[in-house]
Amino acid sequence: MQKHDFLETIKRRVVLFDGGMGSMLIAAGLTQREIPEAWVLSKSEKIGEVHAAYLEAGAEIITTATFGASRLKLGASEAGKSLDAARVNEKGVEVARKALERSGKRERFVAGDIGPTGLFFPPVGALKADEARAAFREQAKALAAGGVDLFIIETMYDLREAVEALRAVKEVSNLPAVVTLTFDRKPRGFFTMMGDTTDKAVETLLKEGASVIGANCTLQSGDMIDLAEEFRFLTDAPLAFQPNAGRPVMEHGVAVYKQRPREFAADAVKIVAAGANAVGGCCGTTPEFIREVHATLIHGK
Amino acid sequence: MQAFLDGCAKSVLEGDADAAEKLAREALDKKYPPFEVIEMGFVKGIKEVGRLWEDGTLFLPELVMGAEAMKRAMAVLHPALAKSGARPKSLGHVVIGTIEGDIHDIGKTLVATMLSANGFEITDLGADVPVVKFVDEVEARGAGCIAVSALLTTTMSGQRRVVDELKKRSLKGKVKVMVGGAPCSDEWAREIGADGYAGDAVAAVSLAQSLMGSRD
Repeated sequence: MQKHDFLETIKRRVVLFDGGMGSMLIAAGLTQREIPEAWVLSKSEKIGEVHAAYLEAGAEIITTATFGASRLKLGASEAGKSLDAARVNEKGVEVARKALERSGKRERFVAGDIGPTGLFFPPVGALKADEARAAFREQAKALAAGGVDLFIIETMYDLREAVEALRAVKEVSNLPAVVTLTFDRKPRGFFTMMGDTTDKAVETLLKEGASVIGANCTLQSGDMIDLAEEFRFLTDAPLAFQPNAGRPVMEHGVAVYKQRPREFAADAVKIVAAGANAVGGCCGTTPEFIREVHATLIHGK
Repeated sequence: MQAFLDGCAKSVLEGDADAAEKLAREALDKKYPPFEVIEMGFVKGIKEVGRLWEDGTLFLPELVMGAEAMKRAMAVLHPALAKSGARPKSLGHVVIGTIEGDIHDIGKTLVATMLSANGFEITDLGADVPVVKFVDEVEARGAGCIAVSALLTTTMSGQRRVVDELKKRSLKGKVKVMVGGAPCSDEWAREIGADGYAGDAVAAVSLAQSLMGSRD
């Protein structure tokens, strides 16, 4: 098995991430009383089908359905309270690995997904650094035990929390860690919800040992091009970006992501041209988006 | 006096709760009219915080600290305000929460904090709040407004059910409903029959003021 060559691959050529998981599961019947992490245990075949669809579409990195599987995040919801965090994480990796094996594809990777705790550091909330670190450590340990090829710490709205997650990963594993924050576009530039700037994020995450850095969620693909340029101006390090499929709009009371795969793919190529080493999709993206990005990256247009 | 009022505004703008509380006590010692100290001092500060937050100069931590400073000053001044006979500018009572099935707390809490900092009475029901509970609470407390947050496309339908529950109990119109959260919009508010949508905590204050202003 190719276990450790993710970093070599991403330094050599552009790598394609997968797209959104949540909306795919909703389409498969996930109700508002359930969470994806519960399905990892109870309906793992549905999770496996999403992984398979992304692999078939050309994704080279599939992301485990463990975004919200830290003990702190699970503990905050009715649906997650009773779940064993370690088991969800291990099983999440097992499901992804199986989907990958079954696809028969080579040079593909399983990324162990770590999302925010949903809690906040002072002054906004009362989260403590060691508390966050401990929860992330437990999650990272289980993901490593399950056999991931790399970690992805994503959608972090507070640089401090991203750092805690990264330190936790590095305490339990030597595998590469991708760390992507979520930035919003303000009149004065790109900032996280906490006001972290791109230069502070780049400097801090690289100093803390992130292998790949970048951004995901919140922004649509057009804005992500500009953010990618800004990151590339700041560093030579490998970069990854995973925008949303536009901004959701309401149609007959249902939120719809209006951007079409072709338009998203055209922007993805521009994100690569701006300096990204990896692209993928976040909210609203589906295997169709990844298929289109794959085709466009290969054939141009 | 003007320098003192500017100091009050500055303490909120800088999110210095200790300074804000100290200034509020000093205002009482010096027998400054509490109404003026609030309106011309602290409120000016919180409005400036809101403005700078909206234009992306300040961020969540500064907003929260500004609101906290405001609350600390108000806690000191409020009793004196009531005693002074000046009509406290309590704009009304808002019952707020995140809809059932949704555990996103921060936006809702922020709106609650800003409403409270701007003189509304707040009952915060927390997150994952059943539809019926919103209306039960608003009835029990005689509140004039329900603020319902939904961060997920899968939970926002609950906002519609809150409006429907008010209709069922013949409270629609008497109790205003404001909605917020990432997937919401003006259009959504109109569609479900809510009285308004606010895109952020600062907008929520303006909306609540315009919805409830006519009640006094």
